[in-house]
Amino acid sequence: MSSPQTITQKILSRVVGRPVTEGETIYPEPDLVTTHDLYVVNFDQALRGLGASKLHNPDKVLISTDHEPVAANKVAAERQKSIREIVGRYGIKRFFDTGRGGHGHVFPMEQGIVRPGMLVIAYDTHVTNYGAVGCLGFAVVTEISEVLACGSVWIRVPETVRINLKGRLRRGTAMRDVAQRLSADLDPDVVDYCVVEYGGPALADIGFGGRMTLCNTPLEIGAKSAIIEPDQAMIDWVSSRTKEPFTPVSSDPGAKYKLVIDYDMSKLEPQVAVPPRPDTVVNVSEVEGVEINHAFIGSCANCSIEDMRDAASVLRGRTVHPRVRMFITPGTQEIASKAAQEGLLQVFIEAGVSITSPGCGPCAGGRVGTIALGEKSINTGTRNDPNRLGPGDAGIYLASPFTVAASAVAGQITDPRAFLP
Amino acid sequence: MNWIYSGKCWKFGDNISCDADLMKKEFASTRETRGEILREHVMCGIDPDFPKKVSPHDIIVAGKRFAQGNPHIQGLLGIAALELGLVVESIPRGSYRNAINAGLPFLTRCENVTTDCETGDSLRVDFSTGEFENLTRGIRRRFEPLPPSMLEIIAAGGWGPMLKRRLAAMAA
Repeated sequence: MSSPQTITQKILSRVVGRPVTEGETIYPEPDLVTTHDLYVVNFDQALRGLGASKLHNPDKVLISTDHEPVAANKVAAERQKSIREIVGRYGIKRFFDTGRGGHGHVFPMEQGIVRPGMLVIAYDTHVTNYGAVGCLGFAVVTEISEVLACGSVWIRVPETVRINLKGRLRRGTAMRDVAQRLSADLDPDVVDYCVVEYGGPALADIGFGGRMTLCNTPLEIGAKSAIIEPDQAMIDWVSSRTKEPFTPVSSDPGAKYKLVIDYDMSKLEPQVAVPPRPDTVVNVSEVEGVEINHAFIGSCANCSIEDMRDAASVLRGRTVHPRVRMFITPGTQEIASKAAQEGLLQVFIEAGVSITSPGCGPCAGGRVGTIALGEKSINTGTRNDPNRLGPGDAGIYLASPFTVAASAVAGQITDPRAFLP
Repeated sequence: MNWIYSGKCWKFGDNISCDADLMKKEFASTRETRGEILREHVMCGIDPDFPKKVSPHDIIVAGKRFAQGNPHIQGLLGIAALELGLVVESIPRGSYRNAINAGLPFLTRCENVTTDCETGDSLRVDFSTGEFENLTRGIRRRFEPLPPSMLEIIAAGGWGPMLKRRLAAMAA
């Protein structure tokens, strides 16, 4: 009888065909390999430099156009043209061009391409989002070239930190508040290189969007990945989207964790990450009144239909402050479509919001909706390092869609609870 | 590969960042990977003259979360190009991977190592066994070395040469 295993150990054991142990180095061949539009030309150059003219398995490769879906200059248009030539040359069929799919860390789950129990290796760090459907996502950045050419790359089997969520969110708080508070409270030296596994009684109340948010943030403090323990809600959600078979993977009773935390969500106030890092987090009351110029809701952390609904609940019948320009980026074509059907886009338009093409929005290094010298932004992006949205900012603050929307209306960082019924 | 480095200690504190302390962020944006360029800018955010002061086989000793922040490889490529070794109390996962890929010999999880040395001390470190010796202060410690599979990548010169080797083996 083999010893009890975590979700992570089980998925990796299935992939390499034998039980793995934490700390060992393996070369797992993933079920899917992903990269986005800003690394396609680069991996092609890398492979050509190595004399590799074909991919190990082009049928396992998915390419999304999310970092710069709208080519706003000639360089970008030429890049997109090169990408189309490259995917054709390597025979990559799962290529999602502008206007197809949307954010690569989201639509593959909506379309049932990414399913529970799978292993995905990606170029981009926020592939951890796939944990929302019980899929293990590892990012390897530039080494994606090796995965594309050889089929695998070295991975150290990570340990797991288990977080049991309990309690109900208070009015005006959202999963982003939980995720940010956790980033601040967890010891980065403990979480480093671990997979964060979420479970607990509160999970039943957390929708797909909230689960993505929870899986998005732990890597900012050094986690290798994050994953939600499968439950009936997850199985139903995935089943409604694909006829492909899938096997949800749960941890065994008695599986060994590096740390187990019980986390009560019901005590939380709205949280704001202040410069310079996503884990420097305070209660909103500590930064209320900071004047802002720019607000944004979107990014792989908060681009779901739930996030659009949260934003609309604040913006309905209100307008964005004259000093502020606000952008909202629905994550995918599907989310944009749902937001249209539900009348949310109309709410945004009437509030004076600029709605941008599905994808990363301004969070992808400020390629659209950049901020200018000395300006301040509050947004739902993934990181708030100085200069993230353009050089010379005076501060980037991260918060939930409720807090961002309320702050955009007030022109200053604001507690959203006064704006909600 | 000679795993034993004997040289001068250069000590730094906790939270040395990839993009502000260790290297200019512009080199990450331009994806610069040439060692001869990057070596001139190592520790530019803390001591711009650092590259001129060091000699090959000197050793950087640092505290927790060395090369934290967005895991850009440029600073670690610069250290490797200066032929320095690295001994740290901890290194976040992205930079751990990058240090191996840069072909940089290092030891991590070296608890309290910054209390055992000062800049200028004479050190001798064996990166294959984890033996650490401060000759100036007569202190000897033994840390866990990197696993053999990681040492193999470093000995090959990092990720690029190792991948070339793998592709050649696959083609054969």
